[in-house]
Amino acid sequence: MAYIFYPGCASEATGKASFISFEAVVKALGMDVHGEIPDWNCCGATLVANAIGDFAQQAIAARNLALAEKAGKDIVVACSSCYLNLAWTNEKMKIDSKFNSQINEALAAGGLSYGASLQVRHLIDVLINEVGLDKIRERTIKPLEGLKVACYSGCQTVRAIRRPDFDDVEYPVMLDRLVEALGATPVPFPLAARCCGGSQQFTNPELIYDLTGKVLDCAAENGADVIVTPCPMCALNTDAFQEKIAKLNKKKYDMPVLFVTQLMGVAFDLKPKDLALQYNIVSPYKKLAKYGVKK
Amino acid sequence: MTAANKQASRYDPAFANELYTIENGHYIKQCMQCGLCVVTCPARHLMDLPPRRYFKAIQAGDQEQVLKANTPWLCTSCNLCTVRCPRGIPIIDVMHGMKLYLAQKQGVKSAPGALFSKTFFDVMLKRGRQWEAWLTQMYFLKAGPAAMKEAFKMMDVARPMVLKKRLPLAPAKTIKNKGQLKKIYEKAAALAREGH
Ligand code: SF4
Ligand code: SF4
Repeated sequence: MAYIFYPGCASEATGKASFISFEAVVKALGMDVHGEIPDWNCCGATLVANAIGDFAQQAIAARNLALAEKAGKDIVVACSSCYLNLAWTNEKMKIDSKFNSQINEALAAGGLSYGASLQVRHLIDVLINEVGLDKIRERTIKPLEGLKVACYSGCQTVRAIRRPDFDDVEYPVMLDRLVEALGATPVPFPLAARCCGGSQQFTNPELIYDLTGKVLDCAAENGADVIVTPCPMCALNTDAFQEKIAKLNKKKYDMPVLFVTQLMGVAFDLKPKDLALQYNIVSPYKKLAKYGVKK
Repeated sequence: MTAANKQASRYDPAFANELYTIENGHYIKQCMQCGLCVVTCPARHLMDLPPRRYFKAIQAGDQEQVLKANTPWLCTSCNLCTVRCPRGIPIIDVMHGMKLYLAQKQGVKSAPGALFSKTFFDVMLKRGRQWEAWLTQMYFLKAGPAAMKEAFKMMDVARPMVLKKRLPLAPAKTIKNKGQLKKIYEKAAALAREGH
């Protein structure tokens, strides 16, 4: 199946490592991804609807759908928040005819239209259900034996379309299957689809300290060596806030946080520049040394 | 104003009716007060009114409580309540509608979340994409000295982010067709105003 990629704004900043390792993994697996949606715009994240309402945000998100439809390719998304906005808008375009015609009225003001012909799919969905675990197992050159992983799917990843999507909405398991295929061991992780606090770092920081703290505690208590996630917001909060939260909670976590494609890159024995580990804040080198990862 | 009058204005059915007409506001009528959203919500302990009580206050027309509650600003959009609510209320959408309503009624400076969301939107519409370092600066500039003081407490988080290039200070890319994006937004905003 042919796809076009929606990188999302985080791919330029907090989630740069996700973007770099995504491109490398796509190449390593020979996936049919035809670059980025030309001139894609911000999906609105979890914030724009607060300022302009759901409908106007969804019209803005729909510009990306229209541009991808022109290119004639289904969309693959790695960021959970982008996935929510694009997949949910797409779903509504398919099931709600009034919504569809009003969004198209808005798009027409910019000379665009969207016939709701595309699928929007999350990277994990495509990896499991299109590429397949067999192929991922086959491509694994350095099985990550003995590496214990807390598989943090994130909240919006599995609840974007508000009904069972490619995984369970409360206790997702697909990321665990993927990590197993790389030879690593997923640990029990009941908070896999719980919230890290999202984008309230400045507006309600105590919420981040509390919720991300719970996620870190849960990973540590279950013996994880690393946390793996597809979501740039989960990654940012668990990685960048880890030391601050450790101090507040009088704990030590030493819990590197990797994007799923970074971990795949390690198992696929990709080049250091493809792993993009230099962006990680909690250093992952010690825990990954036995799989041949060097600075 | 007599005490009885005050009581009467506190529970104002017109206020409930007003909120039923905001974007996604009509869903609030469906709430049967089961409380599942409360045991679900990860932010409930920081909310003045957890979702169930917030919706009850709206149904009752309790203007005073509703207008001062921080409830929607703490919603993280995790969507867990939305998949669980037995009445099928898309609570996340109701929270979006309430945030838009509150920001319009009380001004964007009435809550940090309102100002941050508005700043995020302004940067996004102007550039077509987000530029986090700029967004952060703009936000704290508008938020004023007290917020700045809070921001300094975050330096221990920001410093490694800048060092590890997670928060690039150089301008992020913009889109080419900003005019098109703006036209789509303006039309959508006009349609949304007509719609409710
Ligand atoms: S779960 Fe739904 S019906 Fe139950 S209290 Fe919450 S909003 Fe109301
Ligand atoms: S979507 Fe908002 S209100 Fe619902 S459970 Fe999550 S944080 Fe709470």
